[in-house]
Amino acid sequence: MENTTVLKRLYSRSLSFIIERPLPVAIISGIMAGLLLIIIHVSNIFSYLSDRPETCMNCHIMGTQYATWMHSAHREVTNCNDCHVPQDNIIKKYMFKAMDGLRHSYVFTLRAEPQAIIIKKQGEQAVSDNCKRCHESLFLSPALKNENLYNVSTSEGRFCWHCHRETPHGLLRSLSSNPYARVPTTDSMIPAWLDDIMKKEQAKILNTKIKQDK
Amino acid sequence: MTNINEEIRKKPWIGWSIFFASMIIVFVLGLFAASIMERRTEALVAYTPAKPIPDFEPRIKVWGENFPREYATYLTTKETNFVTKYNGNDFKDALEEDPLLVVLWAGYLFSQDYNRPRGHLYAIEDIRKTLRTGAPKDSNDGPQPNTCWSCKSPDVVRLMKQMGPLEFYKGKWASKGHEVVNDIGCLDCHDPKTMNLTITRPALVEAFQRQGVDITKATHSEKRSLVCAQCHVEYYFKGEDKYLTFPWDKGISVEDIEKYYDNINFVDWTHALSRAPMLKAQHPEYETWKMGIHSRRGVSCADCHMPYISEGGIKFTDHHITTPLKTINRSCQVCHRESEDELKQNVYTQQDRVMELRMKAEESLAKAHIEAKLAWDKGASEIEMQPVLTLIRHAGWRWDFAVASHGASFHASAEMSRVLGTSIDKSGKARVILARILAKHGMHEEVTMPDLSTKAKAQKFIGLDMNTLKSKKDAFLKEIVPKWDEEAKKREEKY
Repeated sequence: MENTTVLKRLYSRSLSFIIERPLPVAIISGIMAGLLLIIIHVSNIFSYLSDRPETCMNCHIMGTQYATWMHSAHREVTNCNDCHVPQDNIIKKYMFKAMDGLRHSYVFTLRAEPQAIIIKKQGEQAVSDNCKRCHESLFLSPALKNENLYNVSTSEGRFCWHCHRETPHGLLRSLSSNPYARVPTTDSMIPAWLDDIMKKEQAKILNTKIKQDK
Repeated sequence: MTNINEEIRKKPWIGWSIFFASMIIVFVLGLFAASIMERRTEALVAYTPAKPIPDFEPRIKVWGENFPREYATYLTTKETNFVTKYNGNDFKDALEEDPLLVVLWAGYLFSQDYNRPRGHLYAIEDIRKTLRTGAPKDSNDGPQPNTCWSCKSPDVVRLMKQMGPLEFYKGKWASKGHEVVNDIGCLDCHDPKTMNLTITRPALVEAFQRQGVDITKATHSEKRSLVCAQCHVEYYFKGEDKYLTFPWDKGISVEDIEKYYDNINFVDWTHALSRAPMLKAQHPEYETWKMGIHSRRGVSCADCHMPYISEGGIKFTDHHITTPLKTINRSCQVCHRESEDELKQNVYTQQDRVMELRMKAEESLAKAHIEAKLAWDKGASEIEMQPVLTLIRHAGWRWDFAVASHGASFHASAEMSRVLGTSIDKSGKARVILARILAKHGMHEEVTMPDLSTKAKAQKFIGLDMNTLKSKKDAFLKEIVPKWDEEAKKREEKY
């Protein structure tokens, strides 16, 4: 009973505060909302809903991971999320993404990232499930099934990549191992100056044509 | 309802806590925004050269100060120490190796001088030395236009920006000798600010525009081939302006390009023996790569020709652009599991097959040219010869298309075999008609072929005076070229 009255009182007081002092309230909440918008903008927040590798590159420290994937055969069939996020159901997928994302943003903001990023336990499980999701034919024949399933899921916590060590990121994957990794840029590869002179040239050619026609 | 002001007056701590709460929230939000922005700038800075590179800087050593690994590997394109079964990176006279080429290109500058391709860092030396650029005495002399410089140097990028393509292509080749002095380098493919892959040659953009393809949306992987496609393509010099143009409007297959050239009645040269209106294929690497399995599987040029390399715990792109047969481990075995030997044999087997057909195509085509000459000599008429000349034109184009791109016998082995097959078919048909024409003009025996066993004999047969050509070239190299270099040096001191 006590609690509800306190809450009720607090609610009615803040309400009356807002009603009686609309200007300062509007200004302060406006500042906060504006700052929130800035954060949404600078953090590229909506890109996190997509599956594009460019999203993971929002944090530039993933350059090594991007570049090594980009140089592997897996680039033809997977993006980051295909392996690193559970794909068995959509709720699980976005839950995982949200949890992972929150941890990443906290580590990144506090500058607590390790030199060599090592996969966490939940991540390992997700990747392992995803290996099996695509390479399922490896488990079809009974002989292989025994061999592979034994290795992959039952035995001693071993995973595919304990043997296939270079798949797909190679062995060098510290933050500094790809200093000039070309991260994907969505910009056009036609520089502004070239676009410019080509437009001028086309205008010139058009002009001479018009003159000739006259 | 109680008035909050009265409340605050009674208990000031309520007012204070409202003040501090909003202050903390705004402060934390602000910090967070600042942190995100800071780290985003950091990302930019991480890829920005420590020593800023001026816009349009053509000299690779200036870029190299920032990127020592890329620079060091790029310098090795100067090496001449690796030979494969059919090519390599050392100097080799291709006409000496295959004297039939002299006859096939009779009347065209290629019959004078044609060598195995070398590394990017030989671009300027080789274009100056080749007899195909002649021996200009002054800036308005010589057989070639400025368009020939288009792919040879990052100086071209600087000049394109300065004067635009139309102005750049204008005039004789010798008029820009002092401007274009740096071998192919960083600026040709990289943006000096961001190091992103970039296109610097308008011809490629224009070709895609005419096809209605939007390359501004090219993916990262496509970019890694498109930068090469600026130069490693089939092209021609259009009209009076010698405007560099890629003949891709109808498509990039050998038939599509042939149709394009036929429609505009384009002729590279008239053959000295057969008088056929010939086409010369340049080096359709991009096109022939597109026809092969590696392209279809999404493998870009750089994947094989510039594989990743690690050195002292650092991974980077090997800028020693050369045959992947030199780097089988890093180029092929990234995807293929077979041994180096077996992979190399796979390549050679494919090349052997194409090469066998290539020699048959050359033999048949050379005979057609020689027999056509005899037919003219025996008094054949233009009308009689018309179908023969068209067949020879197409046979020559198709053979050249399959051969001019040195990698095509591997990039698109099956397609090149087909293309060579159609060449053999067409030159064979030409020879059947020729046999009838010759018979009509009283020639019933087989035409005896001249001795074409060496380059010298072949060049003598088509009437080339090589000694004069060479001595003129030597004089040009001794007298004109040093002046170009001196002028360039003076200009570059001001950069």
